[in-house]
Amino acid sequence: MHFILLPMIFLTVALLGGVRIGLDHALIFVAPPLITLVLAILLLSLLVRGRLVELHRWLATDQAPLTNVSHGWLLLTLFFASAQAFNSALPERGLLHWLFSFFFLWTLWNNQFSVFDARRLLRSLIVLFGTAFVVKHILLANLYGPEGGWLTKVAGTLLRGASLGTLDATPFAPASGYLAFFTLALYLAGLFLLAFHPPGEAEARLAAPTDREFLIDVDAIRQDKAESRVERLLP
Amino acid sequence: MSAQRELRLRTCGALRAGAPALPDQQRTMKTKVIQVSGLLLTLVYAALILWLYATEPRSFKEAASGAELAAGTYQINQEKFAAGQRLFLAEQFRAARAEWQQADPAQGDARTQFYIAYSFYREGWGRVYYDQDLFKQGLEAAKRAANLSATSQLTVADPNLQMHTVAELQAELEQGLERTLSDANPLKVFRTRK
Repeated sequence: MHFILLPMIFLTVALLGGVRIGLDHALIFVAPPLITLVLAILLLSLLVRGRLVELHRWLATDQAPLTNVSHGWLLLTLFFASAQAFNSALPERGLLHWLFSFFFLWTLWNNQFSVFDARRLLRSLIVLFGTAFVVKHILLANLYGPEGGWLTKVAGTLLRGASLGTLDATPFAPASGYLAFFTLALYLAGLFLLAFHPPGEAEARLAAPTDREFLIDVDAIRQDKAESRVERLLP
Repeated sequence: MSAQRELRLRTCGALRAGAPALPDQQRTMKTKVIQVSGLLLTLVYAALILWLYATEPRSFKEAASGAELAAGTYQINQEKFAAGQRLFLAEQFRAARAEWQQADPAQGDARTQFYIAYSFYREGWGRVYYDQDLFKQGLEAAKRAANLSATSQLTVADPNLQMHTVAELQAELEQGLERTLSDANPLKVFRTRK
């Protein structure tokens, strides 16, 4: 799972996080802005603090080099998936982009000083990404979208006019919202998998004796005991 | 198998001296195979993602054409290309470009890009002034053609054209975009379109 499934999940998030579908149904690829990389680093540090990523188990000198490389690669895919998850939830331009970035930055920075465990961290991330998704893909998309009633259009125009165009947002096809929902859900699913099956467990399982080997051990002990009894009985 | 574990098993008598520890070896081998195949698979996937972001295809069809181009199996639609040429000769430049764009959706054929650039040149050319927007688009197409034929000089032996190489066309388009004192020369109305 940690060598194939999780990297594939995180890479898929990295792929879909920057994909938007234009009003003419054309694919638009949005590369992650610099701020998303900063946010991803903050989130990774939070994942380490919340023990969702246990660096001492992921990268250890007593592990095989190939295992360390695989875990390092998983960490890298997690970083890019985090950056693209933010990219998916952030508005593309204007003041809203910076407002959302500041909201993310403030939340992540504050969380750096809170006491976290993996479950609380996951709940917090669901709320964080969920809020951003609802505001961007439901509220703003309806306000700035080409479809909608006259009231929506009036509200959108008023908001744009009152903010002198700084609160402008790029309209996308509704499919973009579905894509973003799937991307964020996939990202969170990846984190859940990581929380319940952390890397290092598989190696520990490998090092532990299997049932068959355990029975062999027990048999051997029994045999040894029987032999020693026979030795004692013999003159 | 770890040394500690092996020692423990040998002490218990489960492993006789010299006997191979097959299950552990097999499991380690299996883990290694999974790790290596996982790494390779995900690296290929990551390369595909990078390629998609670098080429930014606008549709799945365009992505497929791009993949063909990268694999070296890309071919333009010859029928569309010929239709574009007929429209070009009939001076229907926009329609000709639409045909050529369909013939070469991945913009990967130097000859088609040369013709697209030429159509921008001919449409933008004017006796009194040149259409700057069309010339700019023409220059972009000419640059694409030049990049695509970077290894070998592209020569289009078409008797209906007066410029046969990308370099000539690019120079003509660049000249048209420059603002010089000679633009005020009234005699320039006598110049001819190539």
